[in-house]
Amino acid sequence: MANEKKTSAGLVAAAWIVVSLPLAWGIYNTVLGAAKLFTPLHQSAPAQVRTP
Amino acid sequence: MATLSFLDRSRSIAHPGFNRWLVPPAALAVHLSIGQVYAFSVFKNPLLALHSADGSQWNLEEVGAIFSIAIVILGLSAALFGKWLEREGPRKAMFAAACCFGIGFQIAAAGASTHQLWLIYLGYGVIGGVGLGLGYISPVSTLIKWFPDRPGLATGLAIMGFGGGAMIGSPLGTHLMAFFKAAGDAAIPSAWITMGILYFIFMMFGVFTIRVPAGGWKPAGWTPPARQSAMITSHNVDVSGAMGTPQFYLLWLVLALNVTAGIGILEQASPMIQDLFHGQVTAVAAAGFVGVLSLFNMAGRFIWASCSDYLGRKPTYMIFFALGMVLYFLLPYTGTQHMDSVVLFVLIAGILISMYGGGFATIPAYLRDMYGPYNVSAIHGRLLTAWSVAGIVGPLIVNGILDHYNAMHIPREQAYPLILHIMAGLLVIGFVANVLVRPVSQRFWMKEQPTGAVPAGR
Repeated sequence: MANEKKTSAGLVAAAWIVVSLPLAWGIYNTVLGAAKLFTPLHQSAPAQVRTP
Repeated sequence: MATLSFLDRSRSIAHPGFNRWLVPPAALAVHLSIGQVYAFSVFKNPLLALHSADGSQWNLEEVGAIFSIAIVILGLSAALFGKWLEREGPRKAMFAAACCFGIGFQIAAAGASTHQLWLIYLGYGVIGGVGLGLGYISPVSTLIKWFPDRPGLATGLAIMGFGGGAMIGSPLGTHLMAFFKAAGDAAIPSAWITMGILYFIFMMFGVFTIRVPAGGWKPAGWTPPARQSAMITSHNVDVSGAMGTPQFYLLWLVLALNVTAGIGILEQASPMIQDLFHGQVTAVAAAGFVGVLSLFNMAGRFIWASCSDYLGRKPTYMIFFALGMVLYFLLPYTGTQHMDSVVLFVLIAGILISMYGGGFATIPAYLRDMYGPYNVSAIHGRLLTAWSVAGIVGPLIVNGILDHYNAMHIPREQAYPLILHIMAGLLVIGFVANVLVRPVSQRFWMKEQPTGAVPAGR
């Protein structure tokens, strides 16, 4: 079609970045927390417990 | 109002050349926001620590009810407003969801500030819950119409966002409370006011970005397959018609049982790993286990739903139920008294939770296969009442058995085989229900092919 206005690839990329950044931050925080599962027993003293 | 006319369905029809890959970020903006509800537990202890003017405090049961009300209202509002959403379009529904979710936080903040629990119930639970329900179903049928070639992938992307939302909501809530506390402000009210504003803005990104395809649109170079599985219809059934089909109730059971079994682990994840590996897994490590499950939950939503485009919806649920049965049966035997393998326990629990998330993400595409794309959001909304029921039944089974063992002074770890084997039994029923799902009889088909509806293929 002659009057077809294509969405720019930059706009699509920007939209994905807008939603990916907070998600990446959330995943990063979750991975940090999840890593504690693999902390050796002697390093996981109760004093490390963080109250939300 | 003329100023709000941009919310009309007619104003959100995509122009020729619009890139459909702009639609999943719009859906994700909404789902990443409303997924915050699963991170509500970060506010539990701070809420319990609040005092009223006369020194009274709320108890755990009263605070726990905030989350329960929000989830029940999610299911009810999704069921009630699905038909309205189909008529008015996703942009108006997303806008309403953003308003309800954002305003809900503000009212709840007033409740926390004045120590009035009913205001938190009304704000976060009821008004915010309506935002959850509307937001959850609003992008579903739009995504399915934009991606008739990959409906599982498209809805999986959006519903993955709901799992990811908890991962954002948890640190966001924690950091904001710490920030305001350090600044000498009231931590919870200030955090909630800020979160309400931030989530409203983020959801508005979805409102402005979402587009519906023009009537008859289909992906460039894609033609609906001439011959396709009998389990994928090329017709449409409206929401009223769908409610009259046995398939709706079978799929309701499929979702309810899959969710109930998943809640069996999620509800008790932290204490369960500590009980089964007594002395080996600390409270800190158990919190890490909950994080691992969140990652599996989110990944499962995208991976399983995407795979269902190739495997087919019915076989995907066959895997959930058959593999789930075996894994739920094995899980308690990984503890110290049998195999004594934390790694195996975590791996099995992770796979099970990936299938719990996968069940949520695959069901919209299953409904599309059964009933066509025309009313799929509304039908999905009605089906989500299964989630509300499972959210009550799952914890009732788990906590009921644990309370009984506690009352009998039997060690808690001995309760887990019974709990998890009950979950395996529920999956047997789910398997049978899924086997019984057959193509919808043609007497339920709509007589006229609605505009914009295109047949889908794998």
